[in-house]
Amino acid sequence: MSATRQAARRPDATAASLEPIEDYFVGRFVAMASPCELLVDTDDRASAAALLRTAEREARRIEHKFSRYRPGNLVHRINHSGGRPVRVDKETALLLDYAATCHEVSDGMFDITSGALRRVWKFDGGDRVPSQAQVQEALQHVGWHRVTWADSTLTLPAAMEIDLGGVGKEYAVDHTAVLLAGQTRDAFLVNFGGDLFASGARRGGRHWGVGLDDPERTGEAVLYRIEFARGGLATSGDARRFIRHEGRRLGHILNPKTGWPVKDAPRSVTVLDRTCLQAGSLSTIAYLQGPGAREFLEQQGVEFRIV
Amino acid sequence: MQLTPANRTSSLRGRLGAAACLLLTAGLPSMAQGESGATTQFDATALLYGERNRANVAEPTARIARRFADGQSLSAQFGFDVITGASPSGASPSGVAQTTTSASGTVTTIPAGQIPLNSFKDSRYAADLEWQKPFLRSFLSTIGGHVSREKDYQSLGANGKLSVDLLQRRTTLTVGGGVNRDRVFPVGGIPVGLSDGSTPAGSSALSKDVSTVMLGLSQVVTRRWLVGLNATRTFERGYLSEPYKVLSVLDGTTGLPSGQWMEKRPSTRERWSVLASSVYHLTDDVLSLSYRYYRDDWRVRSHTCDARYRRELGGDRYLEPHLRYYSQSAASFFRTGLLDGAPLPEFATADYRLGGLKSVTVGATYGFRISDRPGEWTVRAEYIGQFGNGHPGATVGIQRQFDLFPTVSIGSLLVGYSVEF
Amino acid sequence: MTRPLRRFLHAALLLILAGLASGCAATAVRPWDRDLLAQKKMRLTPSPMVSAVDDHIYFSKEGSTGGMDVVGGGCGCN
Repeated sequence: MSATRQAARRPDATAASLEPIEDYFVGRFVAMASPCELLVDTDDRASAAALLRTAEREARRIEHKFSRYRPGNLVHRINHSGGRPVRVDKETALLLDYAATCHEVSDGMFDITSGALRRVWKFDGGDRVPSQAQVQEALQHVGWHRVTWADSTLTLPAAMEIDLGGVGKEYAVDHTAVLLAGQTRDAFLVNFGGDLFASGARRGGRHWGVGLDDPERTGEAVLYRIEFARGGLATSGDARRFIRHEGRRLGHILNPKTGWPVKDAPRSVTVLDRTCLQAGSLSTIAYLQGPGAREFLEQQGVEFRIV
Repeated sequence: MQLTPANRTSSLRGRLGAAACLLLTAGLPSMAQGESGATTQFDATALLYGERNRANVAEPTARIARRFADGQSLSAQFGFDVITGASPSGASPSGVAQTTTSASGTVTTIPAGQIPLNSFKDSRYAADLEWQKPFLRSFLSTIGGHVSREKDYQSLGANGKLSVDLLQRRTTLTVGGGVNRDRVFPVGGIPVGLSDGSTPAGSSALSKDVSTVMLGLSQVVTRRWLVGLNATRTFERGYLSEPYKVLSVLDGTTGLPSGQWMEKRPSTRERWSVLASSVYHLTDDVLSLSYRYYRDDWRVRSHTCDARYRRELGGDRYLEPHLRYYSQSAASFFRTGLLDGAPLPEFATADYRLGGLKSVTVGATYGFRISDRPGEWTVRAEYIGQFGNGHPGATVGIQRQFDLFPTVSIGSLLVGYSVEF
Repeated sequence: MTRPLRRFLHAALLLILAGLASGCAATAVRPWDRDLLAQKKMRLTPSPMVSAVDDHIYFSKEGSTGGMDVVGGGCGCN
């Protein structure tokens, strides 16, 4: 029986809900512009409710802290700092260190400053493609190597911006899991919009079942299921945001060195690793390898699925 | 459907893992606390203990502790115990019935062939206070004080500990120390050691100072397995003898006791012990093993092996059988009696607890909760058997016929209650 | 001490020391792996009060001291 669906559902704006399903509880709420779920393997509703409160609180905290759109918050201030240095707190510093490590191990393909390319690319399913001059201009404001990051101080040149959206959601999943692990010994699964972490086998040794949608057909029956007990799972892909160009689909993940979407990228890459952060980073880096994604992931020694 | 199987780990993955680890460890609440906010914990135990034909003890204790939102905690513990019955005086059995007068004036008649006993009745009160404070995210400091008092003994103590978490909280290093200032004031005063008791007591009270240092290491090996290593050194100085214990003066040929002399122990004692322990979590159950090696400069050496298996029965109930094996070798000055006419040794004791002995403990604890009521209950029943050589080679004359170490059989029942609110 | 017992103790001690040594490996346990270890029954001294009662019993009946904690107080029972 499917325990959760990884595909996005239309988010609804109601408050958190908690309902029993089979022999466990499913809590749902909306945060980080995604449907979020917490599955707790317990019969104790009060305990599940307490864990749901923790999960929702943590998801919203991270959303507010790392959102690009809230005036006055940290990321907004950084993106509007006009080249002045900004001092960041410990948590943000470690997150930036993590992003910097991803940048380094991926030879610069993973880059949180690549968001500036969004100004010239609109992934609305249409076929408008920017000119080479436009892309070159945008590339002037992309590149982690242009950023000064040291001693908890970030100096972002004017017109550049950072986007902690992807890594922030995965961090939210893992950090919520850390908090919940300190509060309960029941097995649980944290699922924030398809980035998820499962803490261990359910009672009776049963695994959690995750249904992955076919990236082609939204809303259809589950394409395949993954069953596992413990670890993080994340998917990178072009499911809903793409452009059609010269008869090909171009996914929305852009190569920060060329400024263009990754050529011949897989439709979707799903990775299973120790944590959601690691699964997410590996799936993104793999996706950016284009046709080399499969070989890349085989070298990493992780479980994965490429569609 | 299968995901493509994993083969080996790469260094890229390793680097991501290390970076993720740093990020997720930061700000991690310490293991002892799950949620913030002040909580209060109440624990109580009641022990009923009985040795066959010897001593009986009843000992209730209660502890209340308050943990504050910032992680500091304060606790107070009170205990009370009553002991009645008798214990071996150290004197040897005789061919005829013996009459002994205890220090408090009680006259007892011991049948022939039986170990003479001292009877007693005493009560003891104890109070402990402890304060803990976490700081700098990885450190925990503890300070405590102790006071206890019984009819002929008083103890005052202070102790402190500092723990630090290292290596992303997988390792905890602890260093601690304590001092005790005890005072002994036996009924009838402090007897002169290795004398026949006729010399009046030198003083009515003497002190005993104890200082201890401890170094501990606990290490998380895997998600299921925690191990610990602990070393302790204790130094005692002062009056270390037992004021009511004696040795019989035995005739060199017949082995018949003709008198009793007070025992005498050295006035210093240096003790060392090393404890290795392991706790392993199986699917639901927990296995705990430990081994302790002890030695001191009185030449006592001992080995203690302890094993517990906590079997979860579902519904918050568990059964934990327990096995403990202990063996000790005699102190250098332990002897079963003094030979009449032989030169006096510098120190001597016939207290069987400083001789060669083995103890075996077999027991089980049953833990449960009462539905809809807060708190956890435990009930523990244990049997302790102490065995020793009742016919040591050095005995003379009629002593060879007697069992100088009859098996000590002890039964105990311990009820515990613990609640957090 | 008997020979088989001595061998068992050597093996147990080696096992515990091996555990200590391997725990220093960099990839042993992640902070989110602590769910089991956070339980009270997984502590080296799960019940300090019961341990104190036992320490008092064995201190009165045997010649050794020392264990997990720094000694709290003495008594006239040995």
